Amino acid sequence: MAEHATSKNRRPPGVYLDNQATTPTDPRVVEAMLPFFTERFGNPHSTAHAFGWDAEEAVEQARGQLAALIGASPREVIFTSGATESNNLAIKGAARFHRERRPHAVTLASEHKCVLESVEQLAREGHRVDVLPVGADGLVDLDLLAETVTEETAVVSVMAVNNEIGVIQPLAEIAALCRDKGAYFHCDAAQAVGKMPLDVAALGIDLLSISGHKFYGPKGIGALYVRRRPRVRLEALIDGGGQERGLRSGTLATPLCVGLGAAAAIAAAEMEGESARISALKTRLLEGIRGRLSGVSLNGHATQRIAGNLNLAFEGVDAEALMRAMPGLAVSSGSACTSAAVEPSYVLTALGLPEARARSSIRLAVGRFNTEAEIDAAVAELAAQVARLRREGSAAADYSPVFQ
Amino acid sequence: MPKLTFIEKDGNRKEVDAPLGLSVMEIAHRFDIDIEGACEGSLACATCHVIVDEAWYGKLGEPSEDEEDMLDLAFGLAPTSRLGCQIVMTEDLDGLVVALPKEVNNMLG
Repeated sequence: MAEHATSKNRRPPGVYLDNQATTPTDPRVVEAMLPFFTERFGNPHSTAHAFGWDAEEAVEQARGQLAALIGASPREVIFTSGATESNNLAIKGAARFHRERRPHAVTLASEHKCVLESVEQLAREGHRVDVLPVGADGLVDLDLLAETVTEETAVVSVMAVNNEIGVIQPLAEIAALCRDKGAYFHCDAAQAVGKMPLDVAALGIDLLSISGHKFYGPKGIGALYVRRRPRVRLEALIDGGGQERGLRSGTLATPLCVGLGAAAAIAAAEMEGESARISALKTRLLEGIRGRLSGVSLNGHATQRIAGNLNLAFEGVDAEALMRAMPGLAVSSGSACTSAAVEPSYVLTALGLPEARARSSIRLAVGRFNTEAEIDAAVAELAAQVARLRREGSAAADYSPVFQ
Repeated sequence: MPKLTFIEKDGNRKEVDAPLGLSVMEIAHRFDIDIEGACEGSLACATCHVIVDEAWYGKLGEPSEDEEDMLDLAFGLAPTSRLGCQIVMTEDLDGLVVALPKEVNNMLG
């Protein structure tokens, strides 16, 4: 059994360009975490002995590192299991607390599933909800949002960076509009934190969701920024010992908190240089592809987007067939398998893209550990397989895999 | 003397004469209203938690950060929750209405 585990304990082969799905944990982060699994194992909520104090100190240091990355005070950061939990807590928690006077919640059609499903749940509980369309570039329609948000709105949830198309929403404008009506502005920043500068105080964000594993931290940990002044109030989802200001009961996972803090500290120190490097790799990837292939279009706003993201439509090629043809290249399409069929990405559909274009689109996400050689290999593989599928006629319009 | 109305846990309304300069908590104690106040107004608990009538909430001024921190720990928190020890009667508050929450969390108890 142990031997089997060892033989399997290797990185799968291929080039990883799916850094918006997850990122490898930075080895420096792993190193920071390790002592907290073994020697320094105390319960951070144990107040009677040194084991507890040691763990608590580590957790609080991590909280400070994460707070510093987003311009918050440490006391405004609540640890959670990840961005899905943070989004659920922010949206349902805010709406439920204010349900009497503010029974309305607003979000966008291109948000992450966990945001849309949270809002859907609120609708089932009797809240009024609006899921607004986005423009062809993936950005919010600020005029429409201004018309929609009223003094009955408890929370407006708009993501910082889209997980599929990488576009950056105008956060300060949205925040101003929410504040004007007394509504909370919740921002799902899972794809933004550690990748671009974010200052919750300057932007006027009330609630901000963070995911550890999207920026080289461990999986299984995230955080929610909850503004203290003016105080943002939420109804907790989890009842228990009242940890995390009563908003998230349960013993904190010290090693994961430490890892998230370490990832934040690295991001804060290296963000500027890293974005420039990733941006250059992204440009190399795009120019490489366009140099070898025609009929390639970029989905989402051309410039208002995160450095590492490309979402490309390859005309006349089915994205699922393309991904199967490139087992050595890890990328993704936003499509979802249902029991009946492969559904095209709802995000791309929300942009108003024709179904054929949505079905021919893939996301390429460059990250910290990608190299120029990997980018060149990815370009060569993509160009070869797209050309081959086009020759063989794997049209996106009729979904029929070539090897049928 | 200004009037202050308490809505008790059973929904009963009790109007009392509220001496100027006393806090809502102190007035409650004076008239045997069922508000605890375990820390006696030192901002160390949330047992004098009251829910202020919406029409009055905006007239009270902003709660301090310390008060907000204590309210974080209160049971049955509502958007217009305040600590009774932090609301001091003035002429402007003549007619103030506060409700008692259904349950309190006494961490000192």
